[in-house]
Amino acid sequence: MYSLLKKIVCCPGVSGREGTAADVIEGVMAPVSDSVRRDAMGNLICLVGGNAPEGSRRRIMLCAHMDEIGFMVTFIEKDGRLRVATMGGINLCAAAYSRVLFPNGTEGVIVPDAGVKPADFAAEKFSVDIGAYTAEEAGARVKIGDTCALRQELRKLGAHQVAGRPLDDRIGCAVIADVARRLSLKRAADDVYFVFSVQEEVGLRGAGTAAYGIMPDLAIAVDVTGTGDVPGAVPMEVSLGKGAAVKLRDGSVICDPDLVSDLLAVAAENGIPAQREVLVRGGTDTQSIQLTGAGCTAGAVSVPSRYIHSGTETADLRDAAACSDLLFAYLTAERPGRA
Amino acid sequence: MYKTAEFAPERPGRLLEGTELVRELSLAFGPSGSERAVTDLIAGQLYGTAERLSRDRAGNLFALYPSAAKNAPTVMICAHTDEVGFMIDDISSDGFLRFRSLGGMDPRVLCGRHVVFMGAGGPVRGVIGAKPVHLQSADERQKATKENDMYVDIGAASAEDAGRCVAVGDSGTFVSDFVLFGEGGGLMKCKALDDRLGCAAMIETLRRLVRGRRRPKANLVFAFTSREEIGNSGAVMAANRFLPDYGIVLETTAIADLPDVPENSRVADVGRGGVISIADRGTIYDAEFTRGALALAAKKGIPAQVKRYVSGGNDSRNIQRSGTGARDLVISAATRYLHSASCVASVADYASIRELLFAILTEYDFKRKEASGAGSVR
Repeated sequence: MYSLLKKIVCCPGVSGREGTAADVIEGVMAPVSDSVRRDAMGNLICLVGGNAPEGSRRRIMLCAHMDEIGFMVTFIEKDGRLRVATMGGINLCAAAYSRVLFPNGTEGVIVPDAGVKPADFAAEKFSVDIGAYTAEEAGARVKIGDTCALRQELRKLGAHQVAGRPLDDRIGCAVIADVARRLSLKRAADDVYFVFSVQEEVGLRGAGTAAYGIMPDLAIAVDVTGTGDVPGAVPMEVSLGKGAAVKLRDGSVICDPDLVSDLLAVAAENGIPAQREVLVRGGTDTQSIQLTGAGCTAGAVSVPSRYIHSGTETADLRDAAACSDLLFAYLTAERPGRA
Repeated sequence: MYKTAEFAPERPGRLLEGTELVRELSLAFGPSGSERAVTDLIAGQLYGTAERLSRDRAGNLFALYPSAAKNAPTVMICAHTDEVGFMIDDISSDGFLRFRSLGGMDPRVLCGRHVVFMGAGGPVRGVIGAKPVHLQSADERQKATKENDMYVDIGAASAEDAGRCVAVGDSGTFVSDFVLFGEGGGLMKCKALDDRLGCAAMIETLRRLVRGRRRPKANLVFAFTSREEIGNSGAVMAANRFLPDYGIVLETTAIADLPDVPENSRVADVGRGGVISIADRGTIYDAEFTRGALALAAKKGIPAQVKRYVSGGNDSRNIQRSGTGARDLVISAATRYLHSASCVASVADYASIRELLFAILTEYDFKRKEASGAGSVR
């Protein structure tokens, strides 16, 4: 899982500009998929067909978003400094004085204007310094509308943890890619569509059009979720290292209760560590999938993560493996779901 | 091409062009949800251009210009017909109207304004008032008066008196005039330039296509959408009806090319051509389509500028995400004092936007998006 994760994490894909990440993930998925396509918004959609007779197979959608939060250049100052807008839920305190990277290889640092105190941090008071002295010099390397992000990187932390970014949600992409590989060896009864969605971080925008093209009978999103095991955390049951988190709700969705109990039952039957997740704030693609067309049975399996939306998002590889195990066991179970 | 309830436009008094067309459209009454007078005017102005028009239940108006080619992609060109306005939510015992705004407005642009409500018996004039300055507390004087603390004075003596001409739920908008000013009358001022300017550009572009017998390579849907200012619900219905491959939204965008605003916050400049957004608060625009439009503008020498700030949102938000998705583009007129009785935009920009739209519709290589389903098998 680590080498797969590292490959998928270490590529650029700020919301709306996911092409490179999609290319990398397509490289992983193509050998194990029956078909691969991209829709008008850029969602990558891969099918691993089921082995039940034609007509009796349901359409199941697994979805993880491949976009990451970042910045878009809005203006180039005379002195070569770049003004930027945030794309997604940027924590400016976590971003201040960090290295940023543009997809064309341009390096920079993102800094607040001199004298601005953390309490007054706002995107307008930040700029990216790429080492240019004039607007012309900067403009030759970066154009208005180009995106950058804190550096994509991943390293091991202790025996089981990984730290870096963007784990949100490339770790979910790695989980479903792993499920696809396993299903290509041991087919499910149903057709399983693997969607790597765009623009989740700017408002769950991409997954809906992917779902519209598939019209799934049942869908499971895989994303990161917060934990209650750090100092000052909002009380929450989920902890790092305690297994796959089966979502009951988050700020955007109430998951299908039958799907939740089926997932928990499969985890218990197979000895896969799992925990119940009730996330108070934050949303996931689960919502836009659930509301597509005439509605879809939807839920989510989450990878517990600390310090989400910082440069050092942290997760436990055993939890990611448990998510893969749970989804694989569920999809290959005798009679998955009741949708 | 598509099944909708169709009708033929009626001959108007006169077919208008240029700023005269913008003037008539902008002066028309059309707060969100009450766009009928505007769509009637547009329908008349399409007389001789579109043989058939259609409306839907959401208050949208459509003019279709289909391609002769089989399996051609569908391009929806969209401008909204509604404008920001007011809705009466209470009538006080002494005959003053309490209101809520339709669409987002800075309450500072409201006080003292001349407004008109459309009552069951016809238009009713009024003035927006508030507690006078000598009665305000020291604290109140430091703050902008809130919408809740304003009322509309229609000259009624009692609730009964007011109730004879207006009712709770009636909508209103600013009373305004259309003025050309600045060097050579290069700037125009009126209410509702947002987005009647876009509607006018669509009308003139469709006329030009039809007159030139330019049969498009794509199926063109000219959608005049309702209710943009209160959450784009018109565009949702329009996009769901046609499920376009591409969306082109013609809009106005709030800018601040003003003294006291640092250059990095000015957004765009009046007079430098149509504003193409890379992203706003509702949409990240299709990179390829956006690049293609800018390249076409450069090739043809049509003034165009890139929006230098991420702000606002428009019907693209919903068109892009309809069906299996649409590739989208917005071209806006840089507009000062948006959502007020005195929006200011440039006549030259209006021409640049029409030129650019025409160039895109006749020259851009539109492609059909992949059908839904499994896709290419490897």
